[in-house]
Amino acid sequence: MFKIKHFIEQSWLLIVASFCFGLLIATANTAWSPRIEQNKITKINNLMGGLLPKAEKFELAAELQIESAKGKKIKSNVYKALAEGRCLGWAFNCEGPGFADKIELIVSVDKDFGNFAGYAVLASNETPGFGDKIKLPYYRQQFAGAPAGKLELAKTGDAGKIDSEIVAISGATVSSEAVIKIINNSAAQVKKQMREKGLISNGK
Amino acid sequence: MANKAQTTSTLYKQTLLAGLWRENPVFRLLLGMCPTLAVTAAVKPALTMGLSVIFVLLCSNIVVSLMRNLLKAHLRILMFTLTIATFVTIADLFLKAFVPRMSEMLGPYVPLIIVNCIIICRAEACASKNNLLVSTIDALGMGVGFTLTLCVLAGVREVLSTGAIWEIKVLPAWFVPWAAMSMPAGAFITLGLLLGLVNVISKKRT
Repeated sequence: MFKIKHFIEQSWLLIVASFCFGLLIATANTAWSPRIEQNKITKINNLMGGLLPKAEKFELAAELQIESAKGKKIKSNVYKALAEGRCLGWAFNCEGPGFADKIELIVSVDKDFGNFAGYAVLASNETPGFGDKIKLPYYRQQFAGAPAGKLELAKTGDAGKIDSEIVAISGATVSSEAVIKIINNSAAQVKKQMREKGLISNGK
Repeated sequence: MANKAQTTSTLYKQTLLAGLWRENPVFRLLLGMCPTLAVTAAVKPALTMGLSVIFVLLCSNIVVSLMRNLLKAHLRILMFTLTIATFVTIADLFLKAFVPRMSEMLGPYVPLIIVNCIIICRAEACASKNNLLVSTIDALGMGVGFTLTLCVLAGVREVLSTGAIWEIKVLPAWFVPWAAMSMPAGAFITLGLLLGLVNVISKKRT
């Protein structure tokens, strides 16, 4: 009995404060979480709009689960790009390790998953002036129209030629390679799962 | 009586000014080095960081000052951290909801305000021993001092690394940006030089 009394005497302020502070955070979270969700959706929509500019709207088509190269489970949402009721292409999010931190991408493909339409960086923390060039058009352009199969990194070559060979950013080979690895790993899995779900034809 | 009022107002004034120069958290106390180095690549994120710290510092000093007589000595650090963590979480949610771009740029450094030494230092050194008014003034002085320091540091780095301030070009086109200034090395060099400068100035004054 003495122990309980002692415990309460010592810690009543902590208990009361925890309760009050918890309530405060819960209120703030309830008030702002719809807005935070909306911000995320707006950002993804803007990025997808940049990749598939002809699309009028994007509909969430499937919520897939893919595995990173290291076997970590990643949630990947597949969006269907629509214009005048027709499907123009697809976009999905994926992630993987970069040079400094995780890189999150939005990858878009054409309606048959035959060619890539491009990628955009959702979040990254690559070295300014070097690795963060993965956000720049001159590297990203090489992906637009590239066949949606396995991409390969080349140290030198013609960056203007659109094929499965991607020319690395000089001074940022690790970041360039990271993007390709993420896309290669996720595209194959997303394609397979989309076929299983009947979203795209099985190519036969 | 008049004398006493005068002493009190001098105390308030001194408390307010302490954070700006004499006890400036970054230049004099060398506290909060992690955000100082990490978010000062540009002025916008630095200012956002500074304002978030002012908010957290103000709220935590007020709350700690109000409950200073109820605190158990051996549980006080726990109470401080709990208070600080609450307001940091609120600030983080606010930034995510209303300035998502800044929230993204600051990344983990907003939640890391929880372990920012300035805030726990003010809770321990000032708010847990002083009344509400003094604690509030102290929080404002320290918070504004921290914010100004961050902005000065960020201003220097942003100009040299991009030729712009607040994302507005200020240097002529022939200026070649020093990319290194936006990287960690640039942060250490700028901080070191500014610390040296502050030391030179304060030596001259005494």
